[in-house]
Amino acid sequence: MAGGVRIEVEDDPTPMVLILAATLRRAVRTEKLADTLRSARGSVALKSTTDPQAATIRFADGTARVERGAATDADVTIATDVNALSDEHPPKPKVSGAARHPKLALAASKLLEPPQDSWQIEAGRFWAFCAGHPGVPSGIRVVCRDDRSEITLGSAPPEYELQGRAHALASLFCGNTVLGQEVLDGKLYAVGALSHTAELTGRSIAWMLGG
Amino acid sequence: MEAAGVAAWLDEHGIDWIRTEGVSIDGLVIGKHLHRSKFVGALPLGNAITELVFGYDLGGTPYLAWWDDWRLEALGDIHQQPDLDTLVVSPDRPNTAQVLCNAVNPDGSPLPVCARTVLRRVAERLAEHGIEAKAAFEIEAIVFRESVLDARGRKYRNLTPMSHPTALGYLHYNSREQMAYIDEVLQRVAALGIPIEGWHDEAAPGQFELNIPPSDPLTACDRVVRIKQVTREVALEQGCTVTFMAKANEAYGNGLHVHHSLTRAGEPLFYAPDGHELSEISRHWIGGLMATMAGATSMLCPTINSFRRMVGFAAAPTVASWAEDNKSAALRVLSTAPKSARLEQRVASGDANPYLVLAAVLAGGLAGIENAIEPPPALAVAGWGLPPEGWPHLPNTITKAADALAADTNLRGVLGDPFVDYYVNTRRWEWLMYHTTGGDPVADTVTQWELDRYFELV
Repeated sequence: MAGGVRIEVEDDPTPMVLILAATLRRAVRTEKLADTLRSARGSVALKSTTDPQAATIRFADGTARVERGAATDADVTIATDVNALSDEHPPKPKVSGAARHPKLALAASKLLEPPQDSWQIEAGRFWAFCAGHPGVPSGIRVVCRDDRSEITLGSAPPEYELQGRAHALASLFCGNTVLGQEVLDGKLYAVGALSHTAELTGRSIAWMLGG
Repeated sequence: MEAAGVAAWLDEHGIDWIRTEGVSIDGLVIGKHLHRSKFVGALPLGNAITELVFGYDLGGTPYLAWWDDWRLEALGDIHQQPDLDTLVVSPDRPNTAQVLCNAVNPDGSPLPVCARTVLRRVAERLAEHGIEAKAAFEIEAIVFRESVLDARGRKYRNLTPMSHPTALGYLHYNSREQMAYIDEVLQRVAALGIPIEGWHDEAAPGQFELNIPPSDPLTACDRVVRIKQVTREVALEQGCTVTFMAKANEAYGNGLHVHHSLTRAGEPLFYAPDGHELSEISRHWIGGLMATMAGATSMLCPTINSFRRMVGFAAAPTVASWAEDNKSAALRVLSTAPKSARLEQRVASGDANPYLVLAAVLAGGLAGIENAIEPPPALAVAGWGLPPEGWPHLPNTITKAADALAADTNLRGVLGDPFVDYYVNTRRWEWLMYHTTGGDPVADTVTQWELDRYFELV
């Protein structure tokens, strides 16, 4: 994380709080977005349009503090289908307060959508997080169904194979989606033992929540 | 009863069908209705059942976020091994019997996450110290006049308590209103061979409490499981609804207090004549219960809803504490009468799995005597309404309780890592499900998510 930037969460955080904090941490890996966070002032609420999930980020003095619930005094409020944020074509969020706080709204939109590297690079980060965890396969072949490119994570021959389109793979490996759900939704295919799918799903949830 | 004697017993009682009764990690009664030929043929291992009964949550979502060594690839079968000592004629179905079961692997070895087995092992370890435990639960439930179908239609809200709507308790006027329902419950419970010490109207509108006399730990929990099942079945048949939710509405919640006593060579270990100090073993037992209380809370208060009951000045304890005959303490010590010297653990909520409640309590005490843990000073004030600082408050959320259990080496030492790891994962999963499938993160009252998930099932 870039220097002079702090990301804090409430006591006993909710999943949404942890996910937002993890997203902010990913964002400030780049110096440009770290600068954006350093200069951000005010509060931004994020509300789900499909369920009660909500959280508020308060920016001040290089610190972003994330808490549960949409604060009634938030300067900017973003309402969106949080479960569809990782879709290839996500729904457009409804933003209120942007006219009065344009800089904050712009900063929030950039920080909450950090740049994604190629699926291969994101896969390397994910693997560094989960390799060696009990129950995780010793090696995984990942196949991109867009162009049949593939990589092997861990040791060969791989015990497990994942297939999917580049977008779905990148979304999983950067922590935007959960393996089991993606397989259930038909966005990814898994070839291997159920036990490996379960453990990798658990790791993908942990990765999404910030490790 | 031995397996060889089962066919004759079935003949003698004219039984054609047997209901197998296992208990899931969440306390659900699970099993099959087996024809006698199938039941007898499957002995002694017992009938097969999918391992998924230990692999999904109360909403029916599979636990697909970790794996356990006991699990079988691609959802294989485990077995329900009948405890033939619990085989009994069903009081409400002709030609039918029912039997409680332990979950075992295909090779007959115990499943480490079978709650009944977890408790049995703790009791066996206690026996290695020459100590015998007895336990008795206080069962609380709330009855509503609406049928289950009506209650579902109303989303479990604005139901009519089967009593005067004022929170009083011990009112015979209320008992009279519940009488037709309770009488049928008592009749069936008696026919199952379960003694009842008494019952009374309790504080929440529509609430009653049933008291069971002390017995060995396994029997004490078997009785709770069967009584809860009977109350549900009678409610179904009489067109009313019963719930054991820790907090079904804004009234008082449902607890599951458990009393336990210990004897060694017939001597009551918790007995301390008035004015005398507690024995060393009593001190260490209490010390263990106190040291493990935060972690045990995860098993005593297993759901999101359990923690709605644990608020200041609402009768449930919120501070890890013990004291002689003080109902505001989490652990109430009653040491001055030799015949009834016992401890009452008051934290557990009505939605808890009784086997896990008692396993957590006995495991804590065992850890205390095995590690010579001295207790902190007894609570000298009222335990309700204490400030957040300066007092050892119990975990107040499902995640904090799960974290405490995960970190509790004393409980791990007795309950075993395979069970604790699995259980902690299921509680963290419950937290995830609450927040990601419709639970309100800032609600300070009972949510629709909780009612939908827990009202009928826990």
